[in-house]
Amino acid sequence: MPQVSKLWARRRLAATIALVGLAILTGCGAERDARTSAPPTAEGRALKVYRHGMDESPTSLDPVQGSNVYANHVLINAYDTLFAYKYLARPYEIKPNLADGWPTISEDKLTYTIRIKPGVHYVDDPAFPGGTGRELVAADIVYSLKRHFDPATRAQGAWLWQDRIVGLDEWKSAGSDYDAEVEGLRALDRYTLRIKLTQPYPQLLDTLAQGYASVVPREAVEHYGREFAIHPVGSGPFRVVSYDTTRIVMDRNPDYRQEPVDLAAEGYDPATQGGYGLERIAGRSPPFIDRLEIHFIGENSARWNSFTKGDEIQYTQVPNEQVDQVLASKQPVRLRPEYAELYHVYAGTEAGFIFQTFNLSMPEFGYNPDPERERRNKALRCAVIKAFDWPARNESFYAGIGQVFPGIIVPVVPEFDPGLSRESVTRDVEGARRLLAENGWNAENLPVFTYGTVAGVINRLMYEQFRAGLKQIGYPPKKVVLKQYATFGDISKAWKQAELPWVVKGWGLDYPDAENTLQLYYGPNGSPGSNDANYHNPEYDRLYEQARVMLPSPERTQIYRRMNRMVIDDCLAVTGMARTRIYLWHKDVIALPDREIVGGFFLKYVDLEG
Amino acid sequence: MEVLQYALRKLVSGIPLILGVTFVSFLLMVYFGPDQTYQLLGKNPTPEQIAEVRHQLGYDQPFLVRYADYLRELATLDLGHSDSTGEKVSVLLGRTIPVSLLLVLPGFVLGNVLAIMLALLAAHFRSRWPDKLIMGFSVIGMSISYLIVIIAFQVIFSSSYGLGIFPVRGWNVHSFADYFNYVAVPTMATVFVALGYNTRFYRSVVVEELTRDHVRTARAFGAPPAQLLYRDVLKNCMIPIITRVVFSIPLIVISGALLVESYFGIPGVGKVTFDAITTGDQPVLKAVVGLTAVMFVLAQLLTDILYRAVDPRVSLG
Repeated sequence: MPQVSKLWARRRLAATIALVGLAILTGCGAERDARTSAPPTAEGRALKVYRHGMDESPTSLDPVQGSNVYANHVLINAYDTLFAYKYLARPYEIKPNLADGWPTISEDKLTYTIRIKPGVHYVDDPAFPGGTGRELVAADIVYSLKRHFDPATRAQGAWLWQDRIVGLDEWKSAGSDYDAEVEGLRALDRYTLRIKLTQPYPQLLDTLAQGYASVVPREAVEHYGREFAIHPVGSGPFRVVSYDTTRIVMDRNPDYRQEPVDLAAEGYDPATQGGYGLERIAGRSPPFIDRLEIHFIGENSARWNSFTKGDEIQYTQVPNEQVDQVLASKQPVRLRPEYAELYHVYAGTEAGFIFQTFNLSMPEFGYNPDPERERRNKALRCAVIKAFDWPARNESFYAGIGQVFPGIIVPVVPEFDPGLSRESVTRDVEGARRLLAENGWNAENLPVFTYGTVAGVINRLMYEQFRAGLKQIGYPPKKVVLKQYATFGDISKAWKQAELPWVVKGWGLDYPDAENTLQLYYGPNGSPGSNDANYHNPEYDRLYEQARVMLPSPERTQIYRRMNRMVIDDCLAVTGMARTRIYLWHKDVIALPDREIVGGFFLKYVDLEG
Repeated sequence: MEVLQYALRKLVSGIPLILGVTFVSFLLMVYFGPDQTYQLLGKNPTPEQIAEVRHQLGYDQPFLVRYADYLRELATLDLGHSDSTGEKVSVLLGRTIPVSLLLVLPGFVLGNVLAIMLALLAAHFRSRWPDKLIMGFSVIGMSISYLIVIIAFQVIFSSSYGLGIFPVRGWNVHSFADYFNYVAVPTMATVFVALGYNTRFYRSVVVEELTRDHVRTARAFGAPPAQLLYRDVLKNCMIPIITRVVFSIPLIVISGALLVESYFGIPGVGKVTFDAITTGDQPVLKAVVGLTAVMFVLAQLLTDILYRAVDPRVSLG
């Protein structure tokens, strides 16, 4: 008998374990099902689901923390912004979005009056009384911009409007009371917003197209508190239904305003964009898909396997290691036939660049109390720049398809000068050696060159290539020292505290205007600001201050180009290269993907065959 | 009653361990971990804005005050919000730990059960070809990087370049069939690697046991091999086996399986922990470290109780 009861006890235990396991499993499934379920289409057809692959995940979905393209892919599709970028126009062009037409601008360019579209509603959410989304009004825009000046929100976008809008900085100093008025940021009525500037700000409309400028309802911010960052409540084309570390699922906002696509107004160019089926969205109101899934896949091999599987993600950026396998030709970019049969391709130059700059606050390479040493330092910097091998860098790490250019005005902005001398990006070992010798530099007195980077194989290889280049001009390899940082946060701290003599960096444009890269050398932006070079040139600063308040014009372009020339002539940086990004997407997807400028604004227009 | 008293004593004696682990970990986090200030700042921050963020993160508080807060959070299970996403840490862990458990459990069980069986077989045929075959396989499992195994298995079983019979990535689990679909390849990869380490370890335990007098006596009395291995060898090997298995559990529960989760797109706790480490998300890290310490105390307790269950000679005094 004891044997039998033991047996029963064991079976009971096994059954209990099995039941608990099943309960966990089914419970988990049921929860996910509820979180991701979408309403069936009214027409009873299959859901149109577009699965987008992205190489990183956003950290926060609170617009005030939407500091990168990954967050913006979600933000500008869950929320509305006053302005947006045209879907297809290149160079990028801005257009009214939530704004009901262009703003009225005062004669002195200091007052913008912006009408917003009436009848725009937030998605339904428990944050609202009765759970029904209310109408978006001008006061919401005032509230949303004020949040950037509230220290409690940990906002990252205040730099866009700091010292620009009358009374906003003072509002912050007075304690960020949302009920207190700001003179320069007022809702005149339900649908009219007035912005008063301290000085003309030609890029203002661009800043109002950023994810940072997403319009949020105060009720939702207060309802969710800190968890508002994972519960977006907007009025955009999609609403978020689930979000975790691997993907975000967004369903079509059924109440999104009806705005038929005018392809010509969006900048459609049949000659270059004619093969993507975009004509089929003309005259129809987006969004065209029922569900948007954005999958965050950091590992290139996993992303590629998922994309080529056929029934998983439908879009990917081609990883560098796949470029030779996929392309039949790099110039122009053309797919091999077996890939061309399955996928669309688009190759675009990034809206940004990679560059490496000296930190002039370090007396070894930059400003020095001794004028003679300062003169020799400049010669040393120029020699290092001459030693850099851009073609090798491009070939080794960017599949040879990056666009190397002189200076810091990047190719995608209208102010780019294709005729600028390429001397600063042309390797000249003999010239570098001569410069060092003429200025009294030799293996003994050359300073230790600390090359800071985030730990990683690719970064290490870049350092080795850089060091090999310096060796050829007579820089002793043992004096080119690698300093590795565990995380990007760590090296970012070192940059902001001006601890490194050499800053290796990439910069993505916030808006398509050369001002965005020229500010990288504006004196008052020195560390901890974005002027990591800590370059202080009164003439450069004067020109910057003059140009920053000017509207686009040939005169402004000339000023920009003069500043660009100063950066080159003062030997501040090894610069630069704009990477070429190659995007592939399945043939049944009707889209022209582009992750540059803001990021993800094309997702609203994606459609699927059938 | 004896077990309950022992458990209470053990739990109380585990408090210094938890305090020690949390103190050292927090010290490392604060003084050597990533500083999140600079990731939360905008592009042209002023010194005042830097000070504001540091204040928001609590970095401007003295170390001991921050540590005391940490202990209070652990004691009250009020773990705060993630500095990165703003999500409640308790909700975040509650959402991701079950996923990781479901993911790693089959591999963990199979990796140990199969390893024990292979170890018994190898030890029984010691120095003969089955032993050499199994040990050769173990060495292969141990030698190949887990990352390579994951990538290779993904290509072979999931991708269009291979068999393509399982999903490359995802976790849409609504039924047992879905679960099997998503967990099959990660489990195969895990078992492939785990078998190498586990089999070698268990084989050495079994070989040692086979040299004992009682085994030799049983063999002399003509005990059949299967009975000998199960009754006289395996049961006496249970103490090291239990130790290895039980002490693996806390890491499985809390740390998940980062590589598998990342490559197969599974929203488990491994990725959450990794992201917290690299970004310096201290509320998440503090919770993970604290819970790991607690789990180890519980594992120690469970191990002692299981020792007693498999060997009545073991005293819980």
